[in-house]
Amino acid sequence: MTFTTKFDPAHNIMTLNGVPVSLHCHHYNCGLLQVIEKFPRIDAHNILIRTAAEEFCQNFKSYLADQLRGCTKADALRQAADLYRVMGFGRIDLSQLKEEGGTAVADSSYFVVGWLAKYGRRPNPVCFVTCGFIAGILAAVFNALPETYEVKETDCLVTGGECCTFSVRRRHDGH
Amino acid sequence: MAIDSRKIIEVASSLPITSNERGIMGAFGVYALMNYNEFYFKLVSRITGEMDDAEAQVMEQSLYHAVLECGYHTFHGVRTSMHWREHVLPMIRSTEDEVHALVAFTNIFGIGFIEVEELVPGEKLVTTVQNAYDAGRYLEEYGLQRRGRCYLLNACTASYMDLVYGPRYPKGIGTFMAREEVCRAMGHDTCRFIAQRHLA
Repeated sequence: MTFTTKFDPAHNIMTLNGVPVSLHCHHYNCGLLQVIEKFPRIDAHNILIRTAAEEFCQNFKSYLADQLRGCTKADALRQAADLYRVMGFGRIDLSQLKEEGGTAVADSSYFVVGWLAKYGRRPNPVCFVTCGFIAGILAAVFNALPETYEVKETDCLVTGGECCTFSVRRRHDGH
Repeated sequence: MAIDSRKIIEVASSLPITSNERGIMGAFGVYALMNYNEFYFKLVSRITGEMDDAEAQVMEQSLYHAVLECGYHTFHGVRTSMHWREHVLPMIRSTEDEVHALVAFTNIFGIGFIEVEELVPGEKLVTTVQNAYDAGRYLEEYGLQRRGRCYLLNACTASYMDLVYGPRYPKGIGTFMAREEVCRAMGHDTCRFIAQRHLA
């Protein structure tokens, strides 16, 4: 295990590889998603994906520089999938992703489990943070900006799908 | 008061709260997720930043309720856990001790160093936090704020009182209501939360 959580008892702060993190339950994480979806005027999904992409890009880039210098892209993606698991997001296979994009598949998802437990099924996908995670990780691994990758969840366990499937493409038009 | 907060934090922080091979982290009857504090700060501040005052107020109120549910259910799971029975329950001599113990336990979740400033049994709880993440970041990123920004710690303060002094779980949620009296984001040197019985 190369991902290390530390608890600082003097300040009661938790860090993951030096970055402040906290633990929240599905009542909050799914509640937060439900709250921000209430405002149709705001493009909450886009903000959510962009914010997640920025955070995962920055932190995974630091992690690569500190601990995985010189590793292959495939190794880096394996480590990213492990980070995803360690943080409790679920289990995801990133091995089919390349610099130009591809497909990622998750057979277990925190937001699906949490949403089902709290609200039941929904008609549309729920793994927006995962979309941002994938975009951020690819940006870190292929040395690009977080907004370089467009990620869409095309199938989701929460809607009754077999697994959560993410279609990824690299933008070349700057948008 | 027989509660040794430091001991509770020390023991609780060494608990193995980890995800399974499917990446799911079950703890205290809820599904836990570890995420960057900066993610939550940016997400909420960016979304409220695009809202008018009325929308922002609705959003903040809704977030308060989301966290209230989080705190209420999580802390119920905590106080009915085997860990609690083994390590914390032996310290508890009174109902008030339970509030102190729950507040201490909260400190392992990484949301800030929360302490009890005043407890009026069954009526009022005042908590303070010196290092709330969001308060500091609002100040850095957006300057002085007109109102408190720590909806998370605010709702947590109400949830302890709901559990301990409200009707038996799960009917006690919303018995108390908290407000953030002062916040570091408003220029104060601490964040202070007051939970009192909800009279509405």
